Amino acid sequence: MKEFFQSPKIKIFLSVLLVLIMLSVFTRNVENNIVSATLNTVTYGLSKVTAAVAEDKSGEKSYDELKEENELLSQANRELRARLIDYYSVKEENTRLWKFYELKKEHEDFSLIPATVLRRDSNDEFGSFTIDKGTSSNIGVGDPVISDNGLIGWISEADLYTAKVVTVLSPQTSIGAVDKATGDTGIITGSSKYAEDNRTMLSKLDADNKIEKGDIISSSGSAGIYPKGLVLGEVIDIGYDTYDTSHYAVIEPYDDISKIIDVAVISGYEGQGEILVPD
Amino acid sequence: MSEKANSFFRYLAYTIELILMFALSTTPGLLPEIFGAKPVLLICVALTVAVYEREIPSMLFGMAAGILTDLAYTDNIGIFAISLTIICFIVGYAANNLIVATFMNFLLYAAVAVSALFMLYFLIRFIIGGIPDPWSYFTAHILSRMIQTFIFSIPMYFLNKFIYSSLSPEI
Repeated sequence: MKEFFQSPKIKIFLSVLLVLIMLSVFTRNVENNIVSATLNTVTYGLSKVTAAVAEDKSGEKSYDELKEENELLSQANRELRARLIDYYSVKEENTRLWKFYELKKEHEDFSLIPATVLRRDSNDEFGSFTIDKGTSSNIGVGDPVISDNGLIGWISEADLYTAKVVTVLSPQTSIGAVDKATGDTGIITGSSKYAEDNRTMLSKLDADNKIEKGDIISSSGSAGIYPKGLVLGEVIDIGYDTYDTSHYAVIEPYDDISKIIDVAVISGYEGQGEILVPD
Repeated sequence: MSEKANSFFRYLAYTIELILMFALSTTPGLLPEIFGAKPVLLICVALTVAVYEREIPSMLFGMAAGILTDLAYTDNIGIFAISLTIICFIVGYAANNLIVATFMNFLLYAAVAVSALFMLYFLIRFIIGGIPDPWSYFTAHILSRMIQTFIFSIPMYFLNKFIYSSLSPEI
């Protein structure tokens, strides 16, 4: 045993461990660091393939839907034969953009960057995931992330080609929100109690709030971080927290966040950074 | 084949295993969730490699598996890279010098190592991380993930036993 502790193996082991600890500290404290960027670039190709597999697998469809899709695909196939090879990437980009077309029409000031989920952290309890766009696409930390149904999260880390998204299910999230029907305001923040059921919480509600089940909750835009009017979900329950003596509502987003594939990042909008003062 | 060639192909097989398991783990919707969690397959590979190989290769494969697991979790090198490096080194040493890795002994190694890894993860991420109501997550997710990882390490043990016996230096 004594010989073992004096052997070169132990020296190698301790050296490797020291390097790992230093890398760990470095990657956590330095934003856009070369180590994380290199590792992400190395796994980028593999993740791109697995994301494509997932996209194919995501459609659990009925016979009629499959038949209709088959007809569409046959038609598309005839057209594709006559086109250049890069048509595939253009078509894919167009499909993604189309989902956000209506939103873009409503909010012409939004700078939308479509992205695809590159890998999903299967071990994260709050549904965070990594997208295939990063700072090279003008994405920055804090940018809102939306689906075609509304706001689903925000960018917590961004490398050159990838970015990590923290979802509205996470306790790290804090979004000013308003009930469209009653005008009651609160803070959207995730809760470990509800996250696994794809639900989040509208907390800090006034004691005399008039929120009812079925009300639609949207972003208030009051802090200038998230645009005003992005849908966050629907009220499915109302409660009272005896621990911090406050009223809250349970919100169910319109998307199943664990299954989202296509998203868009709002990299800029009119009024970004401006704090709204209530009337 | 020479000893060097055997070792080369064995390490190549382990590397392919790691890449495949990383792809399986990170592909959305590919592995079904059982009781709200999926197994961490890279841990299974690292542990089963460690019971057959010497300390340094065990440690290096543990480190690689740990870095890939951390990448899937957080994009940063962290808890799994460091803890798997340590655990695989210890398992590599123990399996070669203290307790020979029969199947029953492997189960013991796997149970201790998987429990230690996940408890450490839970402690750092949830307890020290200050996430509210951590125990509900432990029972709803971590425990299930721990048990599944342990169970999945059994077929991986036999796969790596086959690889090792087919490509061992003694043959």
